[in-house]
Amino acid sequence: MTMIEQRFKCPNCGEIASFHGNPGEHLVISCPACHLQGRIVIPGQEQSNTIAIEVSHLTKVYEDLTAVNNISFTVKKGEIFAFLGPNGAGKTTTVEMIESIRTPTAGNIKLLGTDIKTGFNLIKERISILPQEFHSFERFTVRETLTYFSKLYKKRADINEIIDAMDLRSHEKKLYRNLSGGLKQRVGVALSLVNDPEIVFLDEPTTGLDPKARREVWQVIANLRNKGKTVFLTTHYMEEAEHLADHIAIIHKGEIIAEGSLQDLLTRYGEKTTLSIKNCQSHDAQRHLEEKGFEVHSSGNGDITVKIDHKEKVLEVLSELRHECIEYDGVDIRGSNLEEVFLRLTGARLTEDVEK
Amino acid sequence: MLILLFGAIFSGMSDSKYTLYVQDLDHTDMSQGLVDVLNKTGVLSIKNVTTNETITNYIKDNNIKNLIVIPQGYKNDITRSFVDPTIKVNITYYFDPTEQQTNQVLRSVISSVLEGLNMQLSQGRSVVGIQEESTVTENFGFIDFFIPGMIGFTIMQQSIYGSIERNTKYRKDGILRKLLTTPITRSEWILAKMLFMLFLAFISTSVAIGVGILAFGIKVNINLLTIVIIIATSFLFSGIGMIIGRFVKEEETADMAAGAISFPMMFLAGTFFAVDAMPSFIQVIAHALPLFYVNEGLRNAMIYMNQTEALINGGIVLIFAAIFFIAGVILTKWKED
Repeated sequence: MTMIEQRFKCPNCGEIASFHGNPGEHLVISCPACHLQGRIVIPGQEQSNTIAIEVSHLTKVYEDLTAVNNISFTVKKGEIFAFLGPNGAGKTTTVEMIESIRTPTAGNIKLLGTDIKTGFNLIKERISILPQEFHSFERFTVRETLTYFSKLYKKRADINEIIDAMDLRSHEKKLYRNLSGGLKQRVGVALSLVNDPEIVFLDEPTTGLDPKARREVWQVIANLRNKGKTVFLTTHYMEEAEHLADHIAIIHKGEIIAEGSLQDLLTRYGEKTTLSIKNCQSHDAQRHLEEKGFEVHSSGNGDITVKIDHKEKVLEVLSELRHECIEYDGVDIRGSNLEEVFLRLTGARLTEDVEK
Repeated sequence: MLILLFGAIFSGMSDSKYTLYVQDLDHTDMSQGLVDVLNKTGVLSIKNVTTNETITNYIKDNNIKNLIVIPQGYKNDITRSFVDPTIKVNITYYFDPTEQQTNQVLRSVISSVLEGLNMQLSQGRSVVGIQEESTVTENFGFIDFFIPGMIGFTIMQQSIYGSIERNTKYRKDGILRKLLTTPITRSEWILAKMLFMLFLAFISTSVAIGVGILAFGIKVNINLLTIVIIIATSFLFSGIGMIIGRFVKEEETADMAAGAISFPMMFLAGTFFAVDAMPSFIQVIAHALPLFYVNEGLRNAMIYMNQTEALINGGIVLIFAAIFFIAGVILTKWKED
């Protein structure tokens, strides 16, 4: 078997290093610069079986506007991939190119190993989408809606199972137009399961929903992962990506500016977690924690703040205080989030629209 | 445009002359004098029919709407009436009862001319009278004219509005995007929509005919040609709807776009009023409109039993349907640019 060279960018320090291995081989590697250890898979036949979506150098240009600029990413089978970005960043354009609704200016897209330029019709049975702001036929009941879309496919999932899984049993005879926004989105997700697809594309599935309805839809999406589906989720809600995604790509002005797991992104681009300790009863607390290697700031009125790398270190700080018999009134933990990551990377808030 | 149209029809401002066919069986100076007087009114365009024509066949073969026959012995009878006041002479006026506006004008003109003639001949005593005959063998009324027009109009409305509104709504609601990623093809989807439109077309046709029969006692002939014209009409206007739907992006403008096409066509294509009663420039427009041939085809096939004319109208509708439906299918896109 031919050895393949695989270049790899260290998520910690950005160092690019080369590794060699056989196609499909799993390697434990170490960054030559910062010595961070991790696992990679050498691409090849075996890896193609683990990749659901492969996008390379995808570009979409409208006259003088570059909506999507040379982006590349892969989505593994069975994971929830969140494509996060503000409105107008290029999310929907990208997902519509992947769904073959828009024609890319340049680049390649493979779904389940099939190039969509030539083989999109071959994989239609294996994918499903929930378009942004989707509204189905108003005068169909929930069951009729599911049955209608189910009949468009050769491979059909059991409608009753879907109704139960999506907790729609009590609504199955209601007309679609009489459903609440949250229920409509649940039906939309249910519709994306009628062909028992391998990949489900959900384009802004919770836009416009109230917090309760949004959490209900989140639960439904989380259940898709439990069923082994690959979920491609576009969203501009950072909480949604934080709550659901195994892997996140942040898109801004048509370019992917960061990609990785939530923890990766927070580690690389987020602020440290801040542990605020209220009304510390000992003046030695700051000195003691500093001796233990913590970054400590005192406000002078007994309150101190400790910067820590991970939330897991909170217990370590508190056990140090307990060990020294230092009492305090309470603690407040403020962790970093994707909003901060986005702010740090772009200088703008995630909730702001990108100028077109 | 509607003010112009209705104004022209109802205010008598039409710039066109009414065509009146005349068969002069008498061929005397007196009968020619009557023709000359009718010609000088300025309202009529007189067309002579040769004496060897059998008038009923001539009317049927040439789809004649208005014709007078001056009987043989016209001059002789008038001369005799000077001696014997009981002698009268009638000219026969053949008219199409479905064209009420035209009939009203022509009847009025002919009556005025005959009154003037009677005044000159006998100080007002009725020497020359008028005898009316329908140009059609059965006694058709306005409702017989109206029902086929309503059927054509209803199918047009359903097909155009159906195509435009559904297309824009389905696009806005993401249904087209969803369908694009399912195994159903664009052709299958269009065909499915067409079958639905056809179903609606046959339902509305049945209702219109049912009301016509039950409420007004009209006699309707449903034949293969009628069905072909209805199917072609549905395809024709769905095609027009698809073409418009290609360019109308917003649901709100879909109604306006559909109305802009169907509303003028409804009035111009002889749905409610005979095209012959309209000004000549509108008649030219009417003959360029597909709905005109739909209306005429349905009337000839269903009511007047003039299958030759119906076949010609149906053929024109089929050509329109082929052109617009193919163009509509080509222009209908699921994908975005």
